[in-house]
Amino acid sequence: MENENKNLNDLFTFAEFDEMESEHIAAPRYSYWKSVFRTFFRNKFTVAVAILLLFILCFALIQPMRSGYSPIVTPNINSPELKFLKPCKEHIFGTDHVGNEVFDAVWAGARNSIIISFVCTGINMIIGILVGAVWGFSKKMDKWMIEVYNIVANIPFLLLAMILCYVLGAGMKSLIITMTCTEWVIVAYFIRTQVMIIRDREYNMASKCLGTRTMTMITKNILPYLISVIMTYVARMIPNLISYEVFLSYMGLGLGTTNASLGQSISLYTSYMRGYPHLFWIPVGVLAIISISLYIVGQRLADAADPRTHM
Amino acid sequence: MSNNSIDREVILSIKHVDISFDQGHKKKFVAVKDANFDIYKGETFALVGESGSGKTTLGRAILRINPLSAGEIEFEGKRISGKISREEDRNVVRNIQMIFQDPAASLNERATIEYCVSEGLYNFHLYKDEEDRIAKVDKALQDVGLLPEHKSRYPHEFSGGQRQRVGIARAMIMDPKFIVADEPISALDVSIRAQVLNLMNKLKAEKNLTYLFIAHDLSVVRFIADRIAVIHLGEIVEIAESETLFKYPLHPYTISLLSAVPMPDPVVERDRHAIVYDPSKLDQSGEKRTMKEIRPGHFVYATTKEFAGYEEKIAQMEKELKEN
Amino acid sequence: MEEKRNIILSAKDIEVKFRVRDNYLTAIRGVSLDLYEGETFAIVGESGSGKSVFTKTFTGMLESNGTISNGSVMFHGKDLTKLKTDKDWEGIRGAKISTIFQDPMTSLNPIRTIGSQITEVIEKHQGVSKGEAKKQAIEIMERVGIPNAANRFDEYPFQYSGGMRQRIVIAIALSCHPEILICDEPTTALDVTIQAQIIKLIRDLQKELGFTTVYITHDLGVVANVADRVGVMYGGQIIEYGTVEEIFFEPCHPYTWALLSSLPQLGVKGQDLAYITGTPPSLYNKIKGDAFAPRNEHALKIDFVEEPPFFQVSDTHFAKTWLLDPRAPKLEKPEAIQNLHEKIKKMTDKGGSFHVE
Repeated sequence: MENENKNLNDLFTFAEFDEMESEHIAAPRYSYWKSVFRTFFRNKFTVAVAILLLFILCFALIQPMRSGYSPIVTPNINSPELKFLKPCKEHIFGTDHVGNEVFDAVWAGARNSIIISFVCTGINMIIGILVGAVWGFSKKMDKWMIEVYNIVANIPFLLLAMILCYVLGAGMKSLIITMTCTEWVIVAYFIRTQVMIIRDREYNMASKCLGTRTMTMITKNILPYLISVIMTYVARMIPNLISYEVFLSYMGLGLGTTNASLGQSISLYTSYMRGYPHLFWIPVGVLAIISISLYIVGQRLADAADPRTHM
Repeated sequence: MSNNSIDREVILSIKHVDISFDQGHKKKFVAVKDANFDIYKGETFALVGESGSGKTTLGRAILRINPLSAGEIEFEGKRISGKISREEDRNVVRNIQMIFQDPAASLNERATIEYCVSEGLYNFHLYKDEEDRIAKVDKALQDVGLLPEHKSRYPHEFSGGQRQRVGIARAMIMDPKFIVADEPISALDVSIRAQVLNLMNKLKAEKNLTYLFIAHDLSVVRFIADRIAVIHLGEIVEIAESETLFKYPLHPYTISLLSAVPMPDPVVERDRHAIVYDPSKLDQSGEKRTMKEIRPGHFVYATTKEFAGYEEKIAQMEKELKEN
Repeated sequence: MEEKRNIILSAKDIEVKFRVRDNYLTAIRGVSLDLYEGETFAIVGESGSGKSVFTKTFTGMLESNGTISNGSVMFHGKDLTKLKTDKDWEGIRGAKISTIFQDPMTSLNPIRTIGSQITEVIEKHQGVSKGEAKKQAIEIMERVGIPNAANRFDEYPFQYSGGMRQRIVIAIALSCHPEILICDEPTTALDVTIQAQIIKLIRDLQKELGFTTVYITHDLGVVANVADRVGVMYGGQIIEYGTVEEIFFEPCHPYTWALLSSLPQLGVKGQDLAYITGTPPSLYNKIKGDAFAPRNEHALKIDFVEEPPFFQVSDTHFAKTWLLDPRAPKLEKPEAIQNLHEKIKKMTDKGGSFHVE
């Protein structure tokens, strides 16, 4: 009893006070990229789509190497019993008008489409971001770049594609040139606008007051803020370019008849749509799955890259 | 007391400065009109005015962010406004630093505290090696009451007061001679304002700094400033030593600002009334106003007629105070 | 003090939780408050203390991730915490209980004229004709101090200055004759001279129209002017409340002491101002003991162990601190706020720093 009283009395004495104690931050350390991935992996649906996408991408890269498919190699052209087969155990996606496996054709096409869209997106983004970042800071450059942009933005894409196709001939190289020679200007313009929005924020003025050079400002102050919008842009551009490629190949302006391509397949198989609808719908379906999952994963990654979602 | 200002060394001199902004269609908005004053080495000079008074514009002009449309700014006797060489520009950055109003907006959210504080060191390569740089950052953080362990944190993990102290550390690490503090406490909670003010006073004494302290409120300024300039709509209306300004406020706008300071006493507040500034009661003769020295070191912006009125008033106040 | 007044609104044991990601944040931890008819009750606290959240329970304006997990708010015999839909709130929110926010632009529509925004409210709440509504709108604009009200009727919000906009928001809030006006930091974004004018305007209107005011602010300096009673909030609780004189002249909680003594008005040049170290508590975790203890230089050991109850100081004055327990050591309030009235009187009298004619 007495002991208890003593304890109680002890409680009513002053505690020690350390001023610095309250400066500590109790919360666990924050890391940007860790938070990005934590946010991204939190959503089960996103993870499922990401796994599916990864699987498709790997499959599209590996399967054609094994099959060695080429649209001009047609060993079964003289075996009518191997043509127009419906999907079955031996022929997963069936066979087409020349007796080739649709499965092989689709994946070979998907591989080319994916490679082209990734390469073009890469080129467009790298040039676009570099030019756009400087463009956003330089008033001098803005004056003439804006004119370049006005011209480029007003050239009909199809017209440009047609001209380049006739001049350079069909093929992978000319298709990549077609899809990058003007597109980077559009990216640069987008980046320029974004840079201008955050360029005059106070923390950039603070950097200027500390004598920070423009190039350092771009890499340290501006681009880190743009990760999320750039990712959103990429998430839109990759599927867009895939459908461009399909569209151009469909129009006969793309890869030409010697290369496999989803557009090529779709264009070829359209004529058999009545009798053998699977020929048309299977490549369209694969195209849709690739585009949509690319878009979803890209978009979710962009969301996760926005620090406002990190909590 | 006011005489010692004469033999004090001038560190920064604002000479008949006008600052205007284009508003398109040949219209110009004049943010600062004919600002003209000296700041002495080692003092805290306060510039007090409300939003739109041009106080921030003038502060930023010193840091070469806003260009002048007339006049000159001199630092240690050398012109720092207008076109100057790159070397001189770097020199201005080294010696004049700024503390910003909103600590949430003025720190790079995507950089660690270590980078934020080191930024100036990197730009001027003010360190021997990595070890030296880290040591300098740790020292700067400790000087403002933060901990070295904060280096790896990001600005958003800090409270407002802590962030403002990071902003101060980043300016101090440059070892500047002159600091423009643009409303450094107005974005902070009342309870932590005091800490930042104390810190600024402590650093000033330790490092022999000179402050231009921009504020919108006279209550803060009385505590921190040695001399005060009151600015209204781009015009400086009164300059005086802090004690003088509070004892003998002359310009009606100064009086209006003074009367608007809320006092923490319900009984006193009941009888206090804010005085609304009414410029139409000033001399309307159209005579151009100039800065006139009414007592040594005490300037007021007035026409001849107004000046006579102020003279009468200050004499009256002096007499009354002597009688008490 | 005065004759017993009617209670117009009574909040009991309010607890508010916010769901943030997978965590719960307890923003309000058991707050009770009786509002008397016609009074001005000021709630003072720093950001994150829960002062805005608490009053939002009176109008059902909590953000969508927030819920009132306990307690009741009784107003005219109705429990406001039970109201859910906008329809339930009709006739109360914006009509009997109005709010003025810090940023006037949050309450004004930038692409509609000032006049149409006021008349809309009048038409809706009073069911009068368009012409009558316009007449009333201009009257009320004049009342809140808009010069040339008739000419400025058709202007847009961007053509008004910040202070004028806040006057318009007050006009809109008052156009349906509310019984309670909640002012959520109405002057924080405004200049000092405008702040003084707006505070005076609210006081005058209150005298004239007799509504009850809840005034939320982080600046104790402002409170002396506006309030009849004051509640100090910290870490989601009211930790001390009493009449304005009691809070300023006889404060009991160390947090109130610290808030008061850190006011720059009380600073002495050349000496350090009193200040509060560190940061407010994280409301994600359960708080043990007194929430202010880690920042309190006068903390007792028991403050870290057990939450203090409210101790009664006078009929109207209560404080939640163990320092008032008879077993606690005697402690004087800090020097800076002793004889506060004499100090301030000296400052505002002839020859003092804040004396004006």
